[in-house]
Amino acid sequence: MDLNESPEHRAYRARVRAWFEQHRPGSLDTFEDRRAWHRTLYDAGFVGMGWPKAYGGQDASPIEQAIVGEEMVRAQVPGTINALGIGFIGPTLIAHGTEAQKQRYVKKILTAEELWCQLYSEPGSGSDLASLKTTAVRDGDHYVVNGQKVWSSQAYNADYAILLARTDPTAPKHKGISYFILDMRAPGVDVRRLKQITGSSEFCEEFLTDVRIPVENRIGEEGQGWELAQTTLGFERGGNLLARVTAHKLTINRLIEVCKTLPRNGGVAIDDPLVRQKIGKMLAEVEVLRYAGLRLLSKLEKGQRPGPESSVDKLYYSEMDKRHQELILEILGPFGQLFEGGPPEVALNLRSTREDEGSWAYNYLWSRAGTIYSGSSEIQKNIIGERVLKLPREPRADRMARA
Amino acid sequence: MDFDFTEEQLMLRGLARELLTAECPPTEVRAQMEDARGYSPSLWRQLAETGLLGIAVDEAHGGQALGMVELALVLEEMGRAAYPGPYLPTVVLAASALAAGGSRAQLDRYLTGIADGSVVATLALMEDRLAAGPEGIELRARAQGGEYVLTGHKRFVPFGHVADLILVAARTSEATDPRAGVTIFALDRDTPGISHQPNVQIDLTNKTSTLTLENVRVGADAVVGQVDGGWKILDGVLRRASVAAAAVMLGSARKCMELSVEYAKVREQFGQPIGTFQAIKHACAEMLVEVENAHGATYYAAWALDAAAPDAAFAASVAKSYVGEAARKVCGSAIQVHGGIGFTWEYDLHLYFKQAKLLEALYGDAEHHREQVLTEILAPAAVPALA
Repeated sequence: MDLNESPEHRAYRARVRAWFEQHRPGSLDTFEDRRAWHRTLYDAGFVGMGWPKAYGGQDASPIEQAIVGEEMVRAQVPGTINALGIGFIGPTLIAHGTEAQKQRYVKKILTAEELWCQLYSEPGSGSDLASLKTTAVRDGDHYVVNGQKVWSSQAYNADYAILLARTDPTAPKHKGISYFILDMRAPGVDVRRLKQITGSSEFCEEFLTDVRIPVENRIGEEGQGWELAQTTLGFERGGNLLARVTAHKLTINRLIEVCKTLPRNGGVAIDDPLVRQKIGKMLAEVEVLRYAGLRLLSKLEKGQRPGPESSVDKLYYSEMDKRHQELILEILGPFGQLFEGGPPEVALNLRSTREDEGSWAYNYLWSRAGTIYSGSSEIQKNIIGERVLKLPREPRADRMARA
Repeated sequence: MDFDFTEEQLMLRGLARELLTAECPPTEVRAQMEDARGYSPSLWRQLAETGLLGIAVDEAHGGQALGMVELALVLEEMGRAAYPGPYLPTVVLAASALAAGGSRAQLDRYLTGIADGSVVATLALMEDRLAAGPEGIELRARAQGGEYVLTGHKRFVPFGHVADLILVAARTSEATDPRAGVTIFALDRDTPGISHQPNVQIDLTNKTSTLTLENVRVGADAVVGQVDGGWKILDGVLRRASVAAAAVMLGSARKCMELSVEYAKVREQFGQPIGTFQAIKHACAEMLVEVENAHGATYYAAWALDAAAPDAAFAASVAKSYVGEAARKVCGSAIQVHGGIGFTWEYDLHLYFKQAKLLEALYGDAEHHREQVLTEILAPAAVPALA
């Protein structure tokens, strides 16, 4: 075991930290401001770092990627704007796309010239994603798509989507699905923004009516869609744990500062033993997530790819976030649920990677999403139980029909 | 950056597991539970012969001079086996205190004895206030004609009743800062004035007792380290003890998880193995999350102590507070998954459940260590682990 940061990585971190100090973004009020900032990050080599050089990446090591992720959060600057595209759509294309697809799309994902979203879930297919009903019927050199998708982050901004649709209604449900690139401006694509529990509208629903997708926009073989979707979810779950840890630490640091002046029982909150216990517990739990991040990095550096074990981390951090946001609001009392109006010294005021983040109230509400998206906690536990611990699978009607 | 164990470390773990599997099966654990001594001297000799008693002792005194990571690997195996015996008190508590402050004579006599298996040792720290910090040390040692006279009692002394050597933390002077004025004394088992009252407790594998000292007279050569300077040593010992306890509890938790997963695959109810049911599957998945996190917390802290990392104290407190709760949850959940059989004396789960509970309470409980975690963060030189 050696958990020290090597001298090279320490030097790298110092360079990255200095870069962020010298390149603080100016105004970030509009989406075009964010796009310009993204371009600055790209030019610095901080976008798609792990991708092969041939596709515009840096071939950077997992540790270097983690360092940039941490420093970006630490500097409290927003990250990339094409999060889904860069996080896993690009890697999926690189792994499974045709050469033509790679040439056409990958670079523009990196530069955020073209923004991407993911059309997976449907009103009737959330956790049971493979039950999706959207159809893609072959018609010459096109597929004709009909159906409804929902809970698609950033779809209102997107130029393209990856779409899961059923190409063979007679096949067992996991086998009849294919994976497509969808032009979001194609005729028949109707995007409507959904207002979320936070009050903001990051999510959308989409109505697809006789949308024509050229055959060359299918990724992989017909019927291979489920398999590919599993890889993409793998990319998503392998996400940067250490950047997450840094974000949590910034939040707890801010909470501690607030508690030094927040009145409580004739004194200040930071002297209240109950508050101290809650913060001590949060600090310990975040630190444990840091160790998980270091273990993951240690594996990645050796070229090992995390498989279903990554569900352990996803389950832990999403449940932890929910628990911590609850503890924070317990400590802050009614001030915690304010979006505006409290004393400024109690506000969160952290600039971060999400556009509308920045209040305790928002984080509290947003934490409810983490245990639902990209596989709910219940689904993660099934994955851990069946694929990591090898417990017998649940007898399910859909699997029995296939048997 | 490497979070994996070396080949040598894995071999050491294999050695410990092999020995404990062969010599310390549940039947042996149960036999020692019924025994007043509570440990097997013959297994103790085997631990000495395989070098496991001296792994952290320096080479000059017959040890292998290995670190906390190696100790933690062995202790995790002890937890897996629900090993009943004075390993942690001897090899971690007493040996660490001696190594940090022992005189040449003390090292030659006691540390060599620990490594060769001839000395079972312990540390008497806690008193009626049950504090894990220096404020809990009230037992007085009066200086009198070149000697010290100790009177008072100590609670939860692990294996004090069989220890050849008892290190006693006593107060030699009063000061505003409770860390000042603490002195450690090395008492031999047959020193006049010492008596033991065994505790009747839920964990029968780690016997503890109340130690009473009545006008116990010792010479100045019994002082370990500096007079009034004992807390500095004890602070380091407690850090190691916290990580050691975490390692044992990690072993208990991992074993309970494994037993549960195996059981869930074969036990049938409603015509199915119970592992097919989400309620059981999810309980097992939650166990794995806790076990993986407990692993990270334990071994990061062990490494940090060995590397003298700036966040070593912080990491030790993170480990003790996190793993204590995690092990209680996992061992308890294992009983639930097993149903009625898990509640029976004949089944082994309760051995782990009980051992984890005692260790959760000793060497600073979760509340104590959470306070330490926050204190470290609020300190002027905050730990570098922070963003």
